[in-house]
Amino acid sequence: MNNNNKNADADANANAAMDEPSSKVLSIFGTFRDELDEHHDRRERIIKASRDITALSKKIIFSLQRTRTIKSPLPPTIAKETTTRFTQIHTLFTSLTPDLTAVNTWRYQRNISPGIQEFIEALSFHHYILTQELITKEEVQAKLPREVLVTEEDYLMGLFDLTGEIMRFAVTGLSSGAASSQKDQKKEEKGEEKESGEGELRMLPESQAGLVVDLRAMRALFEMLSVPRRYHMLRDLGKKMEVMQTSVEKVEKAAYGILVRGSERPAGWMPDLSHAVDVESY
Amino acid sequence: MIDHRIFEDLQTKIDEETHVRDELQEIVQTLARRGRSTQAILSRAHSTPSGQLKPVLDSATKEIIAQKKEVTRLKAVADQHPFYKYNGLWTRELQNLVTAIELCAWLGGFQEYKGADSCEFLTIEEVGKFLDVPVNLKEEDAFHLTIEEYLLSLIAMAEELSRLAVNSVTLGDYTRPMQIGSFIKDLFAGFQLLNLKNDVLRKRSDGMKYSVKKVEDVVYDLSLRNLIPK
Repeated sequence: MNNNNKNADADANANAAMDEPSSKVLSIFGTFRDELDEHHDRRERIIKASRDITALSKKIIFSLQRTRTIKSPLPPTIAKETTTRFTQIHTLFTSLTPDLTAVNTWRYQRNISPGIQEFIEALSFHHYILTQELITKEEVQAKLPREVLVTEEDYLMGLFDLTGEIMRFAVTGLSSGAASSQKDQKKEEKGEEKESGEGELRMLPESQAGLVVDLRAMRALFEMLSVPRRYHMLRDLGKKMEVMQTSVEKVEKAAYGILVRGSERPAGWMPDLSHAVDVESY
Repeated sequence: MIDHRIFEDLQTKIDEETHVRDELQEIVQTLARRGRSTQAILSRAHSTPSGQLKPVLDSATKEIIAQKKEVTRLKAVADQHPFYKYNGLWTRELQNLVTAIELCAWLGGFQEYKGADSCEFLTIEEVGKFLDVPVNLKEEDAFHLTIEEYLLSLIAMAEELSRLAVNSVTLGDYTRPMQIGSFIKDLFAGFQLLNLKNDVLRKRSDGMKYSVKKVEDVVYDLSLRNLIPK
């Protein structure tokens, strides 16, 4: 490190001897170099942490997609996995706090934003599976060190991605027929006896119907947001909106399919989810 | 159950941010309009012999001082918000202004702002002093001129000067290309000290070698024909 600097200085001096650039210019730019180096180092640390946070968040989401219950505690193995990963994420965020103080909080916002959005997706999905409610921005902020900003943009984009996760969760649940809390299962058992009679009104299990209702409500609320076009605010809004609409429609179609053809489905049949995964945008 | 208030709060925040942007944008547009007129005045330097530059510099100075007032107005509004959140709105116009100031200073204006042992250009501190804004703030979250903005302004200034080197010859001035040549080489040596990553500064400063070459070609043509004054 020191040697490198010395060499660079020696080179600069050699140049000075040849072309006689003013030493004043070189000393000014020497200062700039040090400051820019600091800036690049900081930015790289932040980008790296953001990538690690994204990877951990994705793993949390995969674990959560293996659960089949909603509004009830997670199975112990999944709970343990997610807790460990949330702790790792928190450690990563905390390691960044010295780089994100004062004026730097916003300076590097764009560099850390991908990690934060993925984290919000994981956290809100976790929250939704446990409570069937949306996590608020304040609740997200409470999970993070003060220096890490939760911007409206990241929060909103996280919620958009959440609809994709709920879609996968709902479609898997609908087709495997197992995604219901215990209370619902009882109802379902009773219901099946009744519904087996021909011509009777078929209904989705309560928890499944809840997912469809929630997704529709979210879609309506997303579509109600009005964002002026003259600035590059919420740049990805259009694309995210389309993906979200597709997700909601997938669930609506799946619900329809189960109601109409549900009884014809062979026992143990599982839907092909390979396409659903693609919908998630990176 | 989806809580509607979450989305209502988001809409409120979006509206607030739009309002802030509108307010800043209005000032930036004024700054841009005045900037264009500063640029028009300064471009007269390309067709004015250096001996008769004073009126050009005087009217450029007047425009620049008018722009400075807009910067003061901008600063007052921008200081109420996080600096880097909205910096993108004005950075371009601020850079253009700093380029104009540097050009004007190099051509002989703004003498009172140059330090005694100064180089031929105003340092970032000297520019900050003239505009009455802080520079390179590392802690405090307030309006300031950043190092990147200042460096980008210098690159634009070098481009403009390389054009002036060519036009000076047309005006029969064979001394100025030499001065420009030595100045741009100094500046270029400075930029070569920087470790640049793949960003806008890297892209723009890569272009600087063409400015250097352009001036060197002029100097070469002149010296080949023994046109350089002794």
